[in-house]
Amino acid sequence: MLTIDYGNDGAVVAAGRLDAAQAPTAQAFLDSVQGTVTLDLAGLDYISSAGLGVLLKTQKRLMSSGGRLRLSGVRPHLRDIFVYSGFDKLFEIEPAR
Amino acid sequence: MIPHRRTRGEAASSRAGSDGRRRSRPRRAASDHGGKRCYISRMGARIRQRRLPARDLEAILGVTSALAAPFDLMTMLAEVVRAAKQVLRADRGSVWLHDPRTHELVLEVATGLQPVRVPFGAGLVGACARTREIINVPDCYADPRFDAAVDRASGYRTRCMLTLPLVDHHDVLVGVMQLLNKHGGVFDEGDEALATALAAQCAVALQRVRMTESLIEGERMRQALEMAREVQMSTLPRATPIVEGYDVCGTFRPAELTGGDTFDAFVDHGRLVLVLADATGHGIAPALSVTQMHAMIRIALSLQADLGTALTQVNNRLAQTLPEDRFITAFIGMLDPATHELRFQSAGQGPILRFDAAQGTCDRYVPTSFPLGAMPLAAPPPAVRLTMQPGDVLVLVSDGILDYRNPAGEPFGETRVERVVQEHRAGPVADLMGRLLDALEAFAGGAPQEDDITLLLVKRDPAGHRRKRFRRSIDALPELVAFTEQVFADRDLDPGLRPTVDFALEELFTNMVKYSPMGTADVRVDVTLVEGGLEVAMTDHGVAPFDVSRAPAVDVDAPIGRREPGGLGLHLTRRLVDSLDYAYDASRQESRITFRVTNRARSRATMPRQE
Repeated sequence: MLTIDYGNDGAVVAAGRLDAAQAPTAQAFLDSVQGTVTLDLAGLDYISSAGLGVLLKTQKRLMSSGGRLRLSGVRPHLRDIFVYSGFDKLFEIEPAR
Repeated sequence: MIPHRRTRGEAASSRAGSDGRRRSRPRRAASDHGGKRCYISRMGARIRQRRLPARDLEAILGVTSALAAPFDLMTMLAEVVRAAKQVLRADRGSVWLHDPRTHELVLEVATGLQPVRVPFGAGLVGACARTREIINVPDCYADPRFDAAVDRASGYRTRCMLTLPLVDHHDVLVGVMQLLNKHGGVFDEGDEALATALAAQCAVALQRVRMTESLIEGERMRQALEMAREVQMSTLPRATPIVEGYDVCGTFRPAELTGGDTFDAFVDHGRLVLVLADATGHGIAPALSVTQMHAMIRIALSLQADLGTALTQVNNRLAQTLPEDRFITAFIGMLDPATHELRFQSAGQGPILRFDAAQGTCDRYVPTSFPLGAMPLAAPPPAVRLTMQPGDVLVLVSDGILDYRNPAGEPFGETRVERVVQEHRAGPVADLMGRLLDALEAFAGGAPQEDDITLLLVKRDPAGHRRKRFRRSIDALPELVAFTEQVFADRDLDPGLRPTVDFALEELFTNMVKYSPMGTADVRVDVTLVEGGLEVAMTDHGVAPFDVSRAPAVDVDAPIGRREPGGLGLHLTRRLVDSLDYAYDASRQESRITFRVTNRARSRATMPRQE
């Protein structure tokens, strides 16, 4: 399961599994965000390429209007995925504390 | 051979009152070409000698173009006769084709006459064929070789006759042409020269058509074989049977010429029924007889006949119907997945191999009876009974595998089969099957497959093995996650491996769902424990091949504007797992992806990016 919503500090918090089954939910939420947005992934256990596709689409949209998506709280095994996919060059990534 | 002219006078010079004209035979012309006889040039020389009238040349050229068109024999024969009659102003004409198998001359075209066969050497036609010389008979009824019975039968009166051999460019006697009753006189020397030139054209044209027809005949035969093949293939199981605790896999690879193999694996009254059979010979007959046997076995077993009775009944039926020199070797087995007892009969099919997982060795079982249909069976022979232990593999192979010869003439043999089984027994049987076929191909070293290849493998799941089927839908993803969760909990696996296993499973699964939307079968996932981790095999059937291990790499360094999410899943999967293998079985349209995730993979995955 995936939960995605605004957190207390104004960041978007995603937790659980962002897989192909949950990608449409994440996409629907992220389609509504504007400007520069921090996506807190500290509670995200898992991401697949479908999830990466959601992030990529959102990043492209935000960048076209001068904004961007920042990823925070990225856990080690997720970080591997971002590195291997070259997404570390497309997103500002802040590792998990 | 050179067609020499010979007149009736030469053949029957002793006859008093002969009006035949004798000429010297132009032997020198034949030796002018260093012993290699050249028909065409000699004909050209003769025509030049005689100064072919322009009208005749025109006629010959007209015939040449007319003979270029027909592609069927009857049209060509009619065209040849029509052309010859016109050029030589003959009233009737006929062409006798040489049948090299019977050494006869066969009359295919003759106006108002029935087809006739004449032995080589008999009568004017036979004599002409034997000597390959023109025979010009100005008065047929004065020639003893003339058979007046033909005239009597047809009511026609033959006055004069020109008989000439049809020899093609390769010196092959194609047939003999006869021309009857020249309008306004008898055939003269000029007609002979003209006829000789014409004969060469006709011979070549006829030979061309005959070759075309034999090609067409070959094509018909090929189509008939294909149909028999389709019948044979249609009886093969479309999907692997699902048997709790067992892994079953079979394949059939037809030889180019039809062989007579078949196999079957189906569940009947809770038991797994296994059949592997091979009918002797090649061509349509074995394909059809093995199909018939297959149907009989299925019916007998569905009527709850026991193995021995089924074997005896089918054997005795085949003994009555199969030709004397034909038989079918067959394995018929029944496995009870609850008790793990396998009972089987083998009619000349062998050796039957059972890999004993505990001992690490292969047991060989000899047939229980002679091949089906060889002769009647009085009573059923005793069946072999054995118990399948965890990890045991039953290996059934047709002799298309055992007898497959490499270029040195050495057969593949059962020892090589056993070696591959011992080496690759750990994975799914579909993988083992692929290894066996690969080993066979490597051994063959390009030698052609001369017989059908059939393989049937049944493996009892080893302890710790897990298997589950999933609906081909993205909605099944939570079930996949639950499955891996369970496997990791049950087997006490390193939880650090799970994200990678889940990632690879999801990517490969969604790929199967997305790119084979027409597939209806479930996706099967087999998990086997290996040292330091696990091996996962995903099997998907009724699909087109797509080699995930060779999918194009993604340029991960491209700027964001050129980045697309497509292809990323497979790209990452390849980076994360220890190994990723793809195999496709065309006969069952089955894709199988095997990946391995162990501690080794994890340590690599968590290393900082250095590449």
